[in-house]
Amino acid sequence: MTDQDIRSVGAQLITARNLTKKFGDFTAVDKINFNIKKGEIMGFLGPNGAGKTTTIKMMTGLFRITSGDVWIKGLEVKKDINQIKKFIGYMSQKFSLYPLLNAYENIEFWGGVSGLSRKVIKEKKGLISNEIPKEILNQQVKDIPPGIKQRIALFSCLISDPEIILLDEPTSGVDPEVRRNFWTKIYELKKQGKTILVTTHNLDEAEYADRILIIHQGRIILKGEPSELMKARKTDSMENLFKRVVTNHETN
Amino acid sequence: MRIFYLFKKELIEILRQKEMLVLIFVAPILQTIVLGYVVTTDVKNIPVQVVNLSQTQDAYRIVNRINHSSLFDVKKISHIPEDYISIFKKGTAKAIIILRDGFNEGRRNLNYPEVQILMDGIDANTSGIAAGYFNGIVRHYIMTDIQKKGIEFPLKNKTVIRFNPNLESINYMGPGIVALLLTIISMFFTSIAIVREKEQQTMDTLLISRLTPIEIYTGKALPMALLGLIEMGIGILVVVLVFGIFIRGNLGYLLLAAAIFLFANLSYALLISTLCTSQQQALFFSWFSMVLFLLLSGLFTPVENIPSAFRWLADINPLRYLIRIIREIFLKGNDITYFINDLLIMSGITVVILSLSLFNFKRMVSK
Amino acid sequence: MKRIKAVVLKEAFHILRDPKSLAILFLLPVVMILVLGYSLSFDLKNIETVVIDYSQSELSRSLIQKFSHNQTYSVTQMVKGEGSQSPEETAEEMLKSGEIKQFIIIPQDFSSRIKKGLISHIGVVIDGSDSNIANIVHQYNEMLTFGFISELRDLKDIFQISTKLYFNPENKSVFYIIPGLVAVIMIMISALLTSLSVSREKETGSIELLFISPLQSHEIVLGKTVPYVFIALIEGALILAFARVMFRIPFRGNLWILLVFSLVYIVTGLSLGITISTMASSQKVAMMATLLITLLPSILLSGFIFPLDSLSPILRAFSYIVPATYFLEVIRGLILKGAGWKHFASQGLILIGFSVLFLVIASVKFSQQRKAGK
Repeated sequence: MTDQDIRSVGAQLITARNLTKKFGDFTAVDKINFNIKKGEIMGFLGPNGAGKTTTIKMMTGLFRITSGDVWIKGLEVKKDINQIKKFIGYMSQKFSLYPLLNAYENIEFWGGVSGLSRKVIKEKKGLISNEIPKEILNQQVKDIPPGIKQRIALFSCLISDPEIILLDEPTSGVDPEVRRNFWTKIYELKKQGKTILVTTHNLDEAEYADRILIIHQGRIILKGEPSELMKARKTDSMENLFKRVVTNHETN
Repeated sequence: MRIFYLFKKELIEILRQKEMLVLIFVAPILQTIVLGYVVTTDVKNIPVQVVNLSQTQDAYRIVNRINHSSLFDVKKISHIPEDYISIFKKGTAKAIIILRDGFNEGRRNLNYPEVQILMDGIDANTSGIAAGYFNGIVRHYIMTDIQKKGIEFPLKNKTVIRFNPNLESINYMGPGIVALLLTIISMFFTSIAIVREKEQQTMDTLLISRLTPIEIYTGKALPMALLGLIEMGIGILVVVLVFGIFIRGNLGYLLLAAAIFLFANLSYALLISTLCTSQQQALFFSWFSMVLFLLLSGLFTPVENIPSAFRWLADINPLRYLIRIIREIFLKGNDITYFINDLLIMSGITVVILSLSLFNFKRMVSK
Repeated sequence: MKRIKAVVLKEAFHILRDPKSLAILFLLPVVMILVLGYSLSFDLKNIETVVIDYSQSELSRSLIQKFSHNQTYSVTQMVKGEGSQSPEETAEEMLKSGEIKQFIIIPQDFSSRIKKGLISHIGVVIDGSDSNIANIVHQYNEMLTFGFISELRDLKDIFQISTKLYFNPENKSVFYIIPGLVAVIMIMISALLTSLSVSREKETGSIELLFISPLQSHEIVLGKTVPYVFIALIEGALILAFARVMFRIPFRGNLWILLVFSLVYIVTGLSLGITISTMASSQKVAMMATLLITLLPSILLSGFIFPLDSLSPILRAFSYIVPATYFLEVIRGLILKGAGWKHFASQGLILIGFSVLFLVIASVKFSQQRKAGK
């Protein structure tokens, strides 16, 4: 880590102010405010339809921001998204791998499209071969089991070595073992100094994150460190915490 | 070049769909060959029934001529009147020739048998031509006979048919069929290219990559263009070899015209792609517009006959211009100056539609 | 039976829940028959002709009049060519560019030769690129010049040739085209309706539910076909209504019999569609295959545009496996000619035979795939 890195550990890398998204009359995300510190793992929790995906899509420029803004590394998403794209990596809910291509071809594609040189792409292919057997990697993605697909997808997402990693429901539909390996990988990334945002509807995964945000019906109803939150509310599991907070929110 | 990777991916995806490959390459070319043979609109073997109510030699001779003509398939020769409507209704004959001894306006005997040609008017196309042939046979007979009697038939038409001396309609239709099949293929596949990406949910990640919307757009359209060009080449080769069509004009112009045509079609397909939310819809619309384009192109029926209310459909139809150009090149061997307009119009259509679809695409990706 | 009903209901709900597709399905054929019905026509409206008259005599003028007074011809005289070109050269240019369909050259000695009793020739150059039109033009020319000479030589009194067109006295090509369009559109739409049915389930994966259900393969196939009959029938009726009302195609036969035959034909289309559906792995493949199988053959090999009698034996054989061929015979005979239904019993039976064949193939394919555990 450089001096600047040391100084900026803990500094706010991503800031959202009054971020809002409306689809016609329907407000999907309602004036949310949050920040993500450099080098932390932030978890966005919430049931399906809460607005997690919409928020990420606004951060990546896929959705137009209705009002408010997001700053990433000091740059405004509304204005400089093209610059911002250079240092973010994104993994969508469906893993964004091409089913008809095999793993190598997918990696080559995503690497090439990110601007990596042929030499580097070759290296990357070699890297993944160390983790996953070649026979599997040579299969078309549609025939690869979901757990391995997820790892390949993650690999592709990281191929350009981005500073900031946005993962939308990366653990949906995978078994607990795979999920555990995933989080191990995430910790490794954190150690490398990366900043990671993960959305999930699995509340028990919250404990893996440094900080969490609970989103419900487009609003942030809770934020903070998981362990402290649970202590404060005198609950022993995220699920109960969530239930209590949501009921509170709904009755207010 | 980053776009090269997109190009490569598209090609891989296309080539890995075996069924589509068959549908793209094998089926159309097979159909071209089979249908190319069909497309002899040369009318012949018309089933005809002859009713000869005249006893004269002339009548018999005329009947003979008809019998020996390859244009007609004489089913029956009778000497008593028949129920003509019933014959037509049953479909046993499409034409009935009645010969009888008739009278002229002055109530005097005609020198030659009165010939009545009854046609089944339902096959309107054939009836016109067939009636003409009958007329010709009878006329010819009368003329020759009159001449034998010493009366000169003083006027003869010396008719020359330009560009297609044997009046073989394959020369006319064959290239058109190729164009048509290209239309099917390119439109179909391209229109689902963009929608497929949406459905596969890879579009988002694609957009976040460093590729700009224009690059994504081009990267998806180009592989299809390439395949289309290859197929076009094969198609034209097949048509020329199998049917022996002689390309009188410049082959280079033909390829140029076909390439522009391909791009015009692709731009329509892309436009459809950006307007639809599912592959099914995209397929529907490209299928629908393809049928319209096909039938309103001048390939089967003349464009001049289209009423002004619908004429604009033919005007924005790239196939219409290509058919014209093909005929010019294949048959007339015309120089580019004759169809430069058509080329320009096709290019114009391409540019306009392409811009529209690009505009739409951008709008579509920034929600 | 009850089990088939369950499949039918499920399929029906599926159809009804997608009103957008339904709307398109109805709109499409209507638009097609409207646009195409009005736009397709074989009628030759104008034979653009240029006459170069070197004779400038009473006779030559009278000959030219014969052409110019004819409705079908559009005659202009050319006295001299453009720029330094001779009239013939200019006329050739006009022929090449498609401005004119033919040009006629009347030689200087035209009149004098005829008066002397010698043979006179006129030169006619026709654009042959459209062989159909060239043929017709040639025929017309011959008839006109023949008429001219017969009048001249008072030969009118020695022969008489007349033509009468049954069922379509005005020789309107609409009579010819609309039935054909109806046949083509009906089978395309019917096949399309069902072609997506099974392949859609393959795509979404819900076909596995069908595979493990206690239903037999043929029950599934039937159940998936039946609900579309109703839709297709409505569409068919719509198309026919349009044909009658907008294009004034006379319906000389029994309407109910027509509907029965239409039903049979529609079922053939539906069965074809479902067969394609079982063999295609995805919807887009199914759609494309349906299009390729129904469109061109129905247009080219059914007798719609090209008369079947003229086809070579091989192709004629192909036409026997095109369902549209049979329905076209029925429509033309029943509706336009007013023939009795008995004449078409065999066509009806053949179509039913097709339906049965297709449904059997579909069921067999379905079982095969089921057993293979795909």
